Amino acid sequence: MRHALLAIMVAGLAALAAGVVTNDFYLRILFNIGIYFLCASGMNVLLGYAGQKSLGQAGLFAAGAYGAALLTTSAWDLGPWTALVLSTAIAALCGVLIAAPSLRVRGPSLAMVTLAFGIVVEKVVTEAEVFGGAMGIYAIKPLTLGGEPLDMRQWVWLVIALGLGLHLLLRNLLTGRYGRAFLSLQADEIAAGAVGVPVHRTKVLAFVIAAATCGLAGALVAQQNQYINSDFINFNLSIFILLLVLFGGAGSLAGPVLGAVTLTVVSALVARWAWIEHFVQGALLLFALYVMPKGLAGVLDGLFRARRGEAPRRAEAPSADARLPVRAGAARDTPLLQAEALNKAYGGVRPARDVSARLTLGHIHALIGPNGAGKSTLINMLSGVVRPDSGRILFQGQPLGRAAPHAICDRGIARTFQNLRLFRDLSVRDNVLLGQHARMRNGFLSSLLGLPRAWREERAAEARVSEILRFLGLSALADQPAGALPYGLQRRVELARALATEPYLLLLDEPAAGLNPQETAELGKLLLRIRDQGITILLVEHHMDLVMAISDHVIVLDYGATIAEGAPAAVQADPRVMAAYLGTDDAAAEEASAEPELAVRA
Amino acid sequence: MLATTLQALVSGLAIGGVYALIALSFSITFTTTRTLNFAQGEFIGVGAFLGVTVLYALSSGGEGGSFAALAPAASEGFRYPAAALAVGAALGTLGLLLFLAAIRPFAGKPGMSWVMSTIGFGIILQSLGLAVWGPAPVNMPSPFGDDVLRLGGAGVRPQEVAVLVVAVLLMAGLDFVMRRTRLGKAMRAVAYDPNVAALMGINVTAIMLGAFALSSALAGVGGVLVAPIASASLFMGMGIALKAFSGAILGGLDNPRGCIFGGFALGLLESGVALWQAQWREIAVFLLIILVLAIRPNGLFGRRALDKV
Repeated sequence: MRHALLAIMVAGLAALAAGVVTNDFYLRILFNIGIYFLCASGMNVLLGYAGQKSLGQAGLFAAGAYGAALLTTSAWDLGPWTALVLSTAIAALCGVLIAAPSLRVRGPSLAMVTLAFGIVVEKVVTEAEVFGGAMGIYAIKPLTLGGEPLDMRQWVWLVIALGLGLHLLLRNLLTGRYGRAFLSLQADEIAAGAVGVPVHRTKVLAFVIAAATCGLAGALVAQQNQYINSDFINFNLSIFILLLVLFGGAGSLAGPVLGAVTLTVVSALVARWAWIEHFVQGALLLFALYVMPKGLAGVLDGLFRARRGEAPRRAEAPSADARLPVRAGAARDTPLLQAEALNKAYGGVRPARDVSARLTLGHIHALIGPNGAGKSTLINMLSGVVRPDSGRILFQGQPLGRAAPHAICDRGIARTFQNLRLFRDLSVRDNVLLGQHARMRNGFLSSLLGLPRAWREERAAEARVSEILRFLGLSALADQPAGALPYGLQRRVELARALATEPYLLLLDEPAAGLNPQETAELGKLLLRIRDQGITILLVEHHMDLVMAISDHVIVLDYGATIAEGAPAAVQADPRVMAAYLGTDDAAAEEASAEPELAVRA
Repeated sequence: MLATTLQALVSGLAIGGVYALIALSFSITFTTTRTLNFAQGEFIGVGAFLGVTVLYALSSGGEGGSFAALAPAASEGFRYPAAALAVGAALGTLGLLLFLAAIRPFAGKPGMSWVMSTIGFGIILQSLGLAVWGPAPVNMPSPFGDDVLRLGGAGVRPQEVAVLVVAVLLMAGLDFVMRRTRLGKAMRAVAYDPNVAALMGINVTAIMLGAFALSSALAGVGGVLVAPIASASLFMGMGIALKAFSGAILGGLDNPRGCIFGGFALGLLESGVALWQAQWREIAVFLLIILVLAIRPNGLFGRRALDKV
């Protein structure tokens, strides 16, 4: 609430300033600040939250600007307000277009593709006749109020109102379920998918938000000038939009406004000399990267925040009365999960050869085997991170088919990772809340508008998360960044995050790796308590005493094939298992003749 | 018809040679540092202008003409190769600066800040270039004159042949160094794993510095090569660098020979499309790249990166 009041006050002051100022030059600066704020707000969602670098925002600005131009001047001859809305929608559609390659490529290639997109749009509006090239399009209808075109002051008021509205909407969105999902993409896409965030859809959404706000800004500029030509659209605009976010503070709600105000004023001061303007932009970009990686917002935050006391570094004892949220209605008549004849090969290495497994509801299953036996590959196949080459997986009697990791998570399979994949910069609470992502039912619109439904879902998720944290004894650490915790506690946070997806089946990939004996014993007790809450566990582990103490059923893999399974004691006595672990005379001979590449760790 | 096709083939190979050279320059830094210079376009433009400046300085005896309109005599004899060498050296030094200022602080850290820092470096470089040379394009005379050679009915400019020959020689030399020398082996070791390379006694920083110096020098020489065909402009580099990068993506960024192939393929494609519709050539090229990325994200000859979970 305080944030909203502050935003309204800032907007009110700006509107007041516009009312007092009579000089057209200053009004234009205020207008530009508003325009750049719109661009930066959307870009902040894409760059600061979702972590996607787009170097082609000028192309989306163009989509909005030329959309408004053509819709009001050509045969369509639409009204200016309709054209404004439609051209924003057109830009949003173009956002889907620019998002498409991001689903396949990442890193520098993605940055280059977005850059190419901006350049192509620049070429198209310069070359194609319908856009008027350098001549441009004249007589674009300006927005009107009661039949009269807006005057400069009204334009400023309009962009302030739009900016305030956009800021409040994005704040609703970013402080809840969707904001966390965007941040999870930035941190680790594989982990995001595994905790139930639909990676592709969320990424496209971020691109579309950035596209729509840039398009809106472009349309406003075209309508205010009543003229647009290809000189407006260039690479420098794309960079400037990025700079607004980086300089203001990427991933901060205050960043866009700080960036827009500072940079617009600086640009206006040096605009008389074209090369100095560029020089200053380049210098500010480097300055922001070197000196204030969190932008102006980060600097201000550091100034005003009181120094915190020493943060707790230890977990408290798990609360015995805490209960995990669980889903009702697991079918008891079929096996929980049935894997049939799974195969997977990476070149000559075959970490899965006709592997079959059957998991029973309410049991702790252990998956053991020497290094390179294919244990992690099996976990990866069950959780959808890796697709089997052949074979099928039935979960509660239904085939998983080619479902994506987030869909599998939604069906009730959760996992942890052998090499921790926490969202390190997010707090423990946010990490675990991300596990609740797929369990929350508030959609995009209710989150954006801040409807009561979104608010209720957020509260309910928070309540469930604090219960999970209590269950694991992590409550005191809830507000610390997950990456700052000691290793053993990070493992436990990952477990909490997986439990927050309310799974039927929990896949744990070496949960005791790196834990000391005492921590390992505590983990064993925890896993038994989790099972007692009705959650089935499949555990990959090398600590044999842990495995033998808690498992109901053990599966042994070697060279990608199941060599034994059954009750712990029976498996322990199995000669093939002993051979696989310790080697016998026969096995040693066999191993010597086997292809050496099979020894590569999978 | 045959003549125009032949002509398109030769000019496609010539511009493709430049793309291949720049694509290789991307590959050199990407394989050794996992980063690349997003300001390579500005380096090309500055290289071209530096070339013009050197030619002007060398020929200021009188017959050279003014800076904005150098006479053909200005690039005769030793002057053009001298200019190319000087530009290569100057840009190579700039590449060292780029690595120290914009790459090293950010390489290997999450967030890919080096994309932004190299862009910032390029913007500064370009604005300084604008301050010194102004925005107007300048002609650079070809050392071989502008008389059109007749080749089976097709008119070919001698500079196009020269570009092709020089580019191929340079790339063959680099390929030899990469595959047959100790230095090349060290570079490939750093590319594979810098930490292990350091443990084996390879000076990783020196290799990375060398990679950036070499890559930037190639950009400068590319600018000097291409300037007589088009004309020197501070804005000419962006398009070339983008297409060269597209060529590198096509062939696989981590495969130098693939990059060379991709560069040539792109040059040929571009001049082929230009035969049909000149103004759509950029758009056709970039659409092709997006298509290739959609089907094979690591290029035609790139290794598949396995994300180990």
